[in-house]
Amino acid sequence: MPNKSKKLQTKREYPPFWEKFIPVALIVIAVIVVFLLIVIISVALGIFPFMR
Amino acid sequence: MNFMNTFLPFGSSLISFAFAVVLFIRFWQRRGLHLLLWGIGMIFYGIGGFCEGYFGAFGWNPLIFRLWYLFGAILVAAWLGQGTVYLLAKKTWAHGLLILLTLGSIYGLIRVFGAELDPNLMTTSLHTGSEMSGHAIVSTGVRSLTPFFNLYGTVALVGGAAYSAWIFWKKRVLLHRTIGNIMIALGAMLPAFGGTFSRMGISGALYISEFLGAVLMFIGFIRATSPIEETEEDSPIQI
Repeated sequence: MPNKSKKLQTKREYPPFWEKFIPVALIVIAVIVVFLLIVIISVALGIFPFMR
Repeated sequence: MNFMNTFLPFGSSLISFAFAVVLFIRFWQRRGLHLLLWGIGMIFYGIGGFCEGYFGAFGWNPLIFRLWYLFGAILVAAWLGQGTVYLLAKKTWAHGLLILLTLGSIYGLIRVFGAELDPNLMTTSLHTGSEMSGHAIVSTGVRSLTPFFNLYGTVALVGGAAYSAWIFWKKRVLLHRTIGNIMIALGAMLPAFGGTFSRMGISGALYISEFLGAVLMFIGFIRATSPIEETEEDSPIQI
């Protein structure tokens, strides 16, 4: 039993720098992708014709 | 001819071709259609860079312009993205999308090489980056192809790399792949941003972003495929 409960508490983590950096980078990428998609769709719809 | 508008795009081209060679060698050794498709995508990236360098050195001519527009503006992102689709999606979906992409690319080739060009818009007098658009193509329905290919390419390549990084991060496994995929996603987004800024008149933004994009994607791929040797200090912490 003690072994089982110890196993349940096990959580892997990256080194501290990467633990902080990776989620921030992923959020930034997600925001930029949304921005790029808006621009591309706007170009496709002719809202920003100067951009192609 | 100067560093910004000639040597930088030639540099991007050289890096892209070198990356393509690495991908083709890896494909030869391990198979995996994604490697072949990424290699083809990087060849397109290299052709686009070469054409921009040629433009900086000698000015446009119709052949170089058409090659640049077809490979650099229309096809590159979509073919790189198709590689990622093969890595992440079911084979049947990936095969279907590849057939669509191939047909679309053939259609794009016919339209770009059959398009009428306005020589007055293929100017060599300004190096603001504003020439790097399809304005010289006066035939209708050619430039409108670009956003569809780029939409597919951006979603597949950047979205795929970011999704992979997120999956590895969530499980806290394979740190090298998480880092590599983040670098690939960032590198793939840079040219799109550079293109936007260059059309807003920021000189050289496109060339810098394409160069950095090629470098980041290359390093990201090497990082993702080279496991980090874990020291006791660096290894995932067990709490």
